[in-house]
Amino acid sequence: MSIARVFPVFSVAFAVLYVLSMDNNWALFTYLARAGEFHPLVYAPPTPRAGPAMYWWGWLATSAIGAAIVAGIAAALPAGRAGGRWSSPAWPTLTWVVPLAVLMVLVFLLRGWFIRVA
Amino acid sequence: MITTLLIFHGLCAVFMLGALTHQSLSVWWPARAGGGTVFHGFRAVRGASYANTVVVLYVATVLLGSILYPTYRIGVRSFFEDLRLSAANGVFELKEHFVSVGLGLLPAYWYFWRQPLAAEMAVARKAVTALLAFIVWYAFIVGHVVSSIRGFGP
Repeated sequence: MSIARVFPVFSVAFAVLYVLSMDNNWALFTYLARAGEFHPLVYAPPTPRAGPAMYWWGWLATSAIGAAIVAGIAAALPAGRAGGRWSSPAWPTLTWVVPLAVLMVLVFLLRGWFIRVA
Repeated sequence: MITTLLIFHGLCAVFMLGALTHQSLSVWWPARAGGGTVFHGFRAVRGASYANTVVVLYVATVLLGSILYPTYRIGVRSFFEDLRLSAANGVFELKEHFVSVGLGLLPAYWYFWRQPLAAEMAVARKAVTALLAFIVWYAFIVGHVVSSIRGFGP
């Protein structure tokens, strides 16, 4: 069976892992924009001179690797009952419902930019 | 250099915006035979033929945006913070995260648009295409507005 059948699984896992990575700061690496330095995992610059720490690329890397692992596990499952579950009719629906829900969660998490949060 | 990259980033976004809008309308509001208006022609496209182009343009736009991001982080975001323009920073933060979710959606999007089109995936194909179109429109408008507030570069 084609590996492409688990692409929806990758997309769903990526969306969930991304919002978790962002909310919990599970960055695989940190980039110091002004200093131009990469550091593994989450790194707080010791002095302001290094500039702000960028975690976005790190969150993307965490999510992509995590989703690839989940999709890899789904692909490795034997065809039949388990394999059928990964290619069940629920997956196409989850592929848009979960990312849509994640967009809404992101708006909620970032509401502090727009309104006063107690 | 940054300005050149920003222009290419914007151009890729414009092409992608056009492709995704054509594709979304073609699945959500397909053209009936016999119409001769410009709007009819806009909807009367073969949506599947846009899929690979959208994937390539999306990845290219995100790559260019990623290269530009440190400049935004140092020069633009701190400028907005100094002026307490938190809503401007907020809409840009949302753009960054929406675009990331869209990036993860691309494999499923490509899979749903694979030829021959699977009838059982028609709803998912429409929904994922609309979601990507929303993300790209949002990102384009926010990027344009934020660039207009501050400009770009040091």
